[in-house]
Amino acid sequence: MEITRRDLLKLAGVGLLGAIAFQGCRIPERELRVESPVALPEDLVTGRDNWYATLCQQCGAGCGILVRVMEGRAKKVEGNPDHPLNRGKTCARGQAAVQALYHPDRLATPLLRGQPVDWEAAVAELASQIRQNRGRVFLATNPLRGHVAAVAQAFVQSAGGTLMAYEPLEDTVLRAAVKRLSGQDVLPDYDIANARTVFSFGAGWLETWGSPVRWSWAYGVFRQGRPGERGMFIHADPRFSLTAANADLWLPVRPGAEGVLALAVAYVLIEQGMASRDAADRLTAGRGLAALAAYQPEVVAAQVGVPPQRIREAATLFGARRPSVAMVGGSALAHTNGLFTAMAVLSLNALVDSVGRDGGVRFNPPPPLGLPSIPAAPFARWRQALEEMRAGRVGLLIVRGANLSYGLPAEAAEALPGVPFRVFIGPIADDTAQGCDLLLPEADPLEAWGTDAPEPGPGFATLTFQQPVVRPFRQGMSFGDVLLEAGRAAGLTLPWANMQEAVRDGARRLFALGRGSVRAGDEAAFFTGVLQRGGWWDTQERGQGTLRPEPAPATPPAPRFAGEEGEFPFHLIPFTPLGIYDGRGAPLPWLQGLPDGTTTVAWQTWVEIHPAQAEPLGIREGDWVEVISPRGSIRALAYLHPAIPQGVVAVPVGFGHVGMGRWAHRRGSNVFSILAPLTDTETGALAWAATRVRLRRLGQRQRVPKFEGVVLPLQLEERPIIPVVKEA
Amino acid sequence: MGLGKRIRIVFLLGGGMGASLLGLAFLVLVAPRVVAHYSWSVERLFRQAPAQPIAFSHKTHAGDAQIPCLFCHRGAAVEEAAGIPSLQECMFCHRLIVGTTEAQQAEIRKVIEAFGKERPVQWVRVFRLPDHARFVHEAHIRAGFTCADCHGAVETMREVRQVHRSLKMGDCVGCHRQHGAPTDCATCHY
Amino acid sequence: MSEARVPSQPATPPDPQPARRRHKWTMVVDLDRCTGCQACVVACQAENNIPLNTEAIYLQYRVIEWIRIERYWEKHGEEVRARYIPLLCQQCDNAPCEPVCPVYATYHNVEGLNVQVYNRCVGTRYCANNCPYHARFFNFWQPVWPSTLENQLNPDVTVRWRGIMEKCTFCIQRIRRAQREAAQEGRSLQDGDVVPACVQACPTDALSFGDILDPNSRVSRLAKDKRAYTVLKELGTGPNVIYLAKVDPYAPAPKKHDHH
Repeated sequence: MEITRRDLLKLAGVGLLGAIAFQGCRIPERELRVESPVALPEDLVTGRDNWYATLCQQCGAGCGILVRVMEGRAKKVEGNPDHPLNRGKTCARGQAAVQALYHPDRLATPLLRGQPVDWEAAVAELASQIRQNRGRVFLATNPLRGHVAAVAQAFVQSAGGTLMAYEPLEDTVLRAAVKRLSGQDVLPDYDIANARTVFSFGAGWLETWGSPVRWSWAYGVFRQGRPGERGMFIHADPRFSLTAANADLWLPVRPGAEGVLALAVAYVLIEQGMASRDAADRLTAGRGLAALAAYQPEVVAAQVGVPPQRIREAATLFGARRPSVAMVGGSALAHTNGLFTAMAVLSLNALVDSVGRDGGVRFNPPPPLGLPSIPAAPFARWRQALEEMRAGRVGLLIVRGANLSYGLPAEAAEALPGVPFRVFIGPIADDTAQGCDLLLPEADPLEAWGTDAPEPGPGFATLTFQQPVVRPFRQGMSFGDVLLEAGRAAGLTLPWANMQEAVRDGARRLFALGRGSVRAGDEAAFFTGVLQRGGWWDTQERGQGTLRPEPAPATPPAPRFAGEEGEFPFHLIPFTPLGIYDGRGAPLPWLQGLPDGTTTVAWQTWVEIHPAQAEPLGIREGDWVEVISPRGSIRALAYLHPAIPQGVVAVPVGFGHVGMGRWAHRRGSNVFSILAPLTDTETGALAWAATRVRLRRLGQRQRVPKFEGVVLPLQLEERPIIPVVKEA
Repeated sequence: MGLGKRIRIVFLLGGGMGASLLGLAFLVLVAPRVVAHYSWSVERLFRQAPAQPIAFSHKTHAGDAQIPCLFCHRGAAVEEAAGIPSLQECMFCHRLIVGTTEAQQAEIRKVIEAFGKERPVQWVRVFRLPDHARFVHEAHIRAGFTCADCHGAVETMREVRQVHRSLKMGDCVGCHRQHGAPTDCATCHY
Repeated sequence: MSEARVPSQPATPPDPQPARRRHKWTMVVDLDRCTGCQACVVACQAENNIPLNTEAIYLQYRVIEWIRIERYWEKHGEEVRARYIPLLCQQCDNAPCEPVCPVYATYHNVEGLNVQVYNRCVGTRYCANNCPYHARFFNFWQPVWPSTLENQLNPDVTVRWRGIMEKCTFCIQRIRRAQREAAQEGRSLQDGDVVPACVQACPTDALSFGDILDPNSRVSRLAKDKRAYTVLKELGTGPNVIYLAKVDPYAPAPKKHDHH
């Protein structure tokens, strides 16, 4: 084929036209657009950030945060340096709060029987249901504090019915112990920053338990913040948690034996003359060491799983290096003898005279302004409540932040259909929302008004103020606002028209006190001041109290377990992973994709088992394993954990949801579904660490999604990446 | 003609056709992209000013009325982006100034309508740097430069177009070298 | 607020070093304070527009975490201990990643930072190959955020395309912002003006950041601590991240003592 000069020129022409045509396609059109906003306040400049103080609600601690907002979008969460609880620090969960705000699966509109409706219709429907069901309303929420608790209480009082808070891993036992020994309703703070020795039992206080950011900040000071003084940390836990990993001395106590261990420590303290006379007398009912004969370390070592010299060593450290503080929580209290354990450990504080002092247990005052605090109701009461629902004695159920179908799957599945009308209030439909008649999209905490008296607090009166930092991203309404608006429409007597008014009223009343961290000439300036600082606190209004140990039982109450040892050889210890926590972090990809503290596994439910016990079962890493309890079974990926004690397996909670968005839906398994309904004998709290299990290989294998590589990362002695020294 | 010779001719012709097809493909597909890539900004110098949704004339506002640049483009003195003024700012004056000629009145009515309906106006960008280059207006104003140094005599333009500076990297680096400003990559690319 | 500034006379050349001294940015990590809580990891992901690490990415061992917590096991007979260390780009003075880039996309700047220029990178991955700290991460896939999550992206940080290498920058966007603010106020940078995202989030104050050329800065003080060391010192990379060794009163006596 020949190409003539004419053809060549024609082709060149086409090429040139192509060049001109392609010019326009070079930069995407949308990049060439720039907008004139309709209105822009004087102080807002494109590209400049503004910071607003508000409250973090990613766990129950209630830290104060600052949110970076650029052009109306929340970009980043930082701790509020002014806030006395967390002092400018945040945790992984708090950092992920902006993902919750912009989650793609947030409910966009209210749904009435599956059909989208507008808010007017939704509120009207709810109001109508309230009117029809006066006296038979049930409000199921997460533990509430601050003004929203006051609203919920007023709502239920006016409508007639019940208000109960639910938390799958409740703090009922600890509260009961604190109440018994000190008469206080409010949880105390532990002054770790000033302590020389910390002895914790089961509580993951460096991870997700209690007030982790506050106590992590204190831990930093405890270790290296005081020149010449490095704190000693002892931790007793049946599982090698992240908290245990940071301890100087980890006592791998047998599940349910934590109370006995604590009293063994008490025995040594009294024996060595290191205990306060008054507290020792109370503990022994005046009979001296003989009253604790059953707790002698040599006697209980086998039961407790810790050699006697270790117990003595720990006790000596605790008694001699003062001030020392003892804490208890987590799986230690999740047994049928939980209350016994809680009281035993708390009594240790009295023995070393650290109650109400620096470096010890610090009581918190009641919430300011008489605001209520509604802690989680015990499991046993929830079973009763569900039974009432099953029997049709509840006409209207409103659920917010209480994932009953997840924590009590069998009971809820049977009971909830017995309620004729169910309402779900939340940002993303969760397990409990499936089957609800009315779904109301909830405003994200960054879009809502409120207050919070953190518990445990910093030792003095604190009220954090929560304000919207962005305009509503989805058509959500805050929980308090829903109750107030629908309640008023139903003719209920409620103290405020909306949450903003409630918060404003709170500020007004604080202003009238004439004291505290914010001073101003008038109410309006006070309100601005409080919002700017993120809250109000009064370091002069401190908690008071003492801890009076009760006489120790002559023989310790033995923990009961579900399942016979022969058939179910392992203790199952559920735990809260760093990101997902008790399941509320499951919707967020940053938290699902966060490697676990000790195993580095992410995105899937795993079961931690000691390699020596996995081998006879033929289990290798990556095997799909069935974890079978007397109640049922779940699947989990096997992870051979070098440090978990033998006889114990651990499975994280928070997976296995139905709903909760694309990153959580049907991912992993729900441990709660296989927990036996054993409870603490005295309080009725769920004994979630009292289930025994056995394991069975399912025959399928896969790679475990984890951050660490395929080779076991052992430090080389000759060349450690992390050299370790014995002294600071 | 022998078979061998025919085969050779077929090969030569086939090779030739292949080469010209490749050359064709290059001309039609690759060359225009390369030309476009390297000449975008330069090409813009010779392009007509893009048509804007509202015929805002800098000549009228910055020239005749002598409104300072920073009055509307507030960010230039404090931040990275100079910013486009909000409609609220336009309304400061145009609540009262409705224009004298038909054409003027029509354009001003567009602004008032957009403000009333709370609809932001979508302008077509004239000055644009790619995402990987960060330009901080404030630093340059602080260094003593004027808006006209890069944007040209905007107060004489009825429609804004890019003139006299290509605003490609060589342009920026040249000016930085001339005035002793940092030429560290991380000054603008991070 | 806004003033007219359109001077008619030509601009005078500005002072190239206005009230600015040289910096050498350094981070100190106290391993005795670090608990392995991973607040720094999520803070960095939020600040720097890190792509979402989905399960598929985990299964291919291509997780991108500019700062990561590495957990090592230590076995002493029956006892097992876990040790945590946050690892990030060490901004080495003698970086192995710098000389091997064929297009000079990474280099050392006057502030002691190892700069990664995204627009120059062509994705040979030689730099990541050379880095002994595994501090460099390659975008094997196009980062995707479901539309609404894009609202969270930080406009101060470039969003990387597929095929580009990225790593910790010591939050250079925060360094630049602080420098601008200081210059606007006519003063030099003080210790504590620049706080990277990880340092700001760390609840235990294990991370500290500052200018080691400033004798009064916190990092200068901590660098003189007797526990101070650098990771893989024997390779001679000259890192600008100084670690303070973990303290363990129960640690068995080390066989060899070669890290100080």
